[in-house]
Amino acid sequence: MSLRKKIVIFLSVMGPGIITANVDNDASGIATYSVAGARFGYALLWILIPTTVALVVIQEMVARMGVVTGKGLSDLIRENYGVRSTFFMMTVLFIANFGNTVANFAGWAASMEILGFSKYLMVTLGALSIWALVIKGNYRFVERILLFACLLYFGYVISGFMSKPSWPDVLRSTLIPQMQWNPEFIILSIGIIGTTITPWMQFYLQSSIAEKGIRKEEYKASRLDVLIGCSITDIISFFIIVTCATTLFPYGIRIHEASEAALALKPLAGNYAYLIFAVSLANAALLGAIIVPLATAYYICEAMGWERGVNKTFKEAPQFMWIYTFMIVSAALLVLIPSAPLVFLMVTSAVLNGLLLPFVLIYALSLVNNKKIMGEYVNPKSYNVISWGTVAVLIGLAIFFVITTFVTLRT
Amino acid sequence: MPFLGELFISEILKKPVLDPKGDELGRVKDLVIVRGEPLPKVSSLIIEKKRVIYNLPWLDLNIFNKRIISANIYSEALQPYELNEEDLLLVRDILDKQIVDINGAKVVRVNDVKLEGYDTEAILIAVDVGMRGIMRRLGVERGGEDLMRLFKKHIPYHLISWNYIQTLEPKLTTISLTVPRQMLADLHPADIADIISQFSHKEGATFFSDLDVDVAAEALSELKPETQVDIISEMDTDKAADIIEEMPPDEAADILSDLPVDKAKEILESIEKEEAEDIQELLSHEEDTAGGLMTNVFIAYPPETTVRKAIENFKRDAEVFETVYYIYVMDTNEKLFGVVSLRDMILADLDAKLSDIMATKLKTVTPETDEMEVAGIISKYNLLAIPVIDTEGFILGIVTIDDIIDRILPPSAKRKRRKV
Repeated sequence: MSLRKKIVIFLSVMGPGIITANVDNDASGIATYSVAGARFGYALLWILIPTTVALVVIQEMVARMGVVTGKGLSDLIRENYGVRSTFFMMTVLFIANFGNTVANFAGWAASMEILGFSKYLMVTLGALSIWALVIKGNYRFVERILLFACLLYFGYVISGFMSKPSWPDVLRSTLIPQMQWNPEFIILSIGIIGTTITPWMQFYLQSSIAEKGIRKEEYKASRLDVLIGCSITDIISFFIIVTCATTLFPYGIRIHEASEAALALKPLAGNYAYLIFAVSLANAALLGAIIVPLATAYYICEAMGWERGVNKTFKEAPQFMWIYTFMIVSAALLVLIPSAPLVFLMVTSAVLNGLLLPFVLIYALSLVNNKKIMGEYVNPKSYNVISWGTVAVLIGLAIFFVITTFVTLRT
Repeated sequence: MPFLGELFISEILKKPVLDPKGDELGRVKDLVIVRGEPLPKVSSLIIEKKRVIYNLPWLDLNIFNKRIISANIYSEALQPYELNEEDLLLVRDILDKQIVDINGAKVVRVNDVKLEGYDTEAILIAVDVGMRGIMRRLGVERGGEDLMRLFKKHIPYHLISWNYIQTLEPKLTTISLTVPRQMLADLHPADIADIISQFSHKEGATFFSDLDVDVAAEALSELKPETQVDIISEMDTDKAADIIEEMPPDEAADILSDLPVDKAKEILESIEKEEAEDIQELLSHEEDTAGGLMTNVFIAYPPETTVRKAIENFKRDAEVFETVYYIYVMDTNEKLFGVVSLRDMILADLDAKLSDIMATKLKTVTPETDEMEVAGIISKYNLLAIPVIDTEGFILGIVTIDDIIDRILPPSAKRKRRKV
């Protein structure tokens, strides 16, 4: 095959992996990276490398399932494990994703406030416009907006360079693992892995690949798409950590949220870095606020066998539209109510995600190894060692995370 | 064994099956379904005890209802059973799978299956695709009902009679479903395309090969290019060739140009020579130009033809053509002289010659003309079709208005069910 033809195939297949990966860096992800950089400097950078490897291993399998079966993950789970498991998963996924949506709206509100807008006005406007975007939906228009929004992420790369880090130190910390045996360090490192490898994105990736109708012959191109997407996610995370580590860590500035990072950057790194951080956060938060509810509505309807689709009306696809509407309206309202238990909701969401991840991974692994479903595309033996190993480590970390969260909540 | 009344399959799954003494033989795991008149029936129960699977024939059952299932044999007489692909199993192969609801022209999921007593058999009467089915599977149907009663509402049953269902996987084709197949042919091809676009490629291809060739050809042209390619690649060459042959040459060429070269070649070789040449000619043009859009079947008569003769010929010829709006007037060398609209031809004196009534100031395009420009000309002069000619004035084909509209506004099935 000529090089030109290969490139053409890749360009036609490209998309699902890259978009999924970008959306993965939503408001809560950015918050985690900013906090990690400000608190521990470059020390946590090395975590990104094993995280990327694990992400690639998992996403590759999910993408392969999408290509071979042409079905979404929730389809496969429903068909192979019945209503009960599916219903349980969808319920947990719904609550966890609702928490994610709230986090994204909170991120949007915070970024608007530090940019000097009223959060009451902007949250209402934001919620209304993303609701209308899908309800009045035209897929092409939505997709164009999303692709443009993905480009804005590169703001973080620019701010990373603008902060003028000492590159030899950055490189050393990235390549040489270091551990600090204190609880905060461990929780943050698990947090980084947890916000990067989430249950919902496995569903999202597989559905969008199935949706795009990528064929088995094009699978290699799809794998490249996933590989590039995973790398981009972690490159963005890398630059967020680097920016905060270079500018905030030396002064011992502690932050808890992504918007605080933007504010703290203002005196230290200048107006541009602050603006880039704030605008990128707003962008990521709003993007997450569209895709997470939309994705949730899709998987639930897919699994339950209800009508779905952006092009449908309320009457044609009531469940789909109501799930989407409910998530956006109540998340926006929660953010605007002054004493709403936002932190509690986000912690719950993180815990539920941690609880759900083992199930999703185990289901995915047993499905990908099912000859009846995958035919000759099941995992090769050697690869199974790697994937089960990765899954085992991730499950261990997820359980550890859930337990520590409970312990810290008690104390 | 008498079985009166009706039950849902979820109500007996995992229920114990007792022997005549009341000891447990095992628990219901699945049901084997066979073809029956008038509807498929249960031929045996698959039961499981201590991870061993047995086959319990329907005839050995004594009582079979929601509350009690008992056999008239003891555990020593049970035959072990090995799961295999030949048998059709209700839980494994039907429950939770997607099916086509022909009445609603959409794809739904089997949430539950309803059995009914008929003579001494248990037959599959309907599938539950509604909310009730899901709630029953979760064991909360009663609770949900009570809750809704508080709001003075009730949960509707959403059952589809087994008569109206077209099952999908090839394993299931052993069940005779002749009625739905006729109903399927009654659907508009655009609706069929809608249904297909909701399936995965493999299911789409299975579904597709059940259709009549001419319905299939029409439905295929309503699908988006990637789906067309998937479906054709999954089919065997002869069947694919039959369908492509049935399509207008321009649409056939569009599909073939998207296929891998080998497959396209194979298909072209199995198509009748004349058709294949037409398609081959079209394949040589760029896709987004007039050459790529045009079809090379159109009606053309010599200038000296009388109107009487032309109308007579038209009645014979028009049947096989995709769209007929104009009669082209050309000599034996295929040089274009003029055009006569159907209206002008019908209104004209029967003894006039075509050359007397034809319009000679023609709007034409060349094969290289960009599709948007073609659209512009068609729109500006309110044409229904425009001839494509080469530099010497020989006619190569025509671009019709529906081809252009499909390029500007994709058919509905091509826009459906794209997710973000």
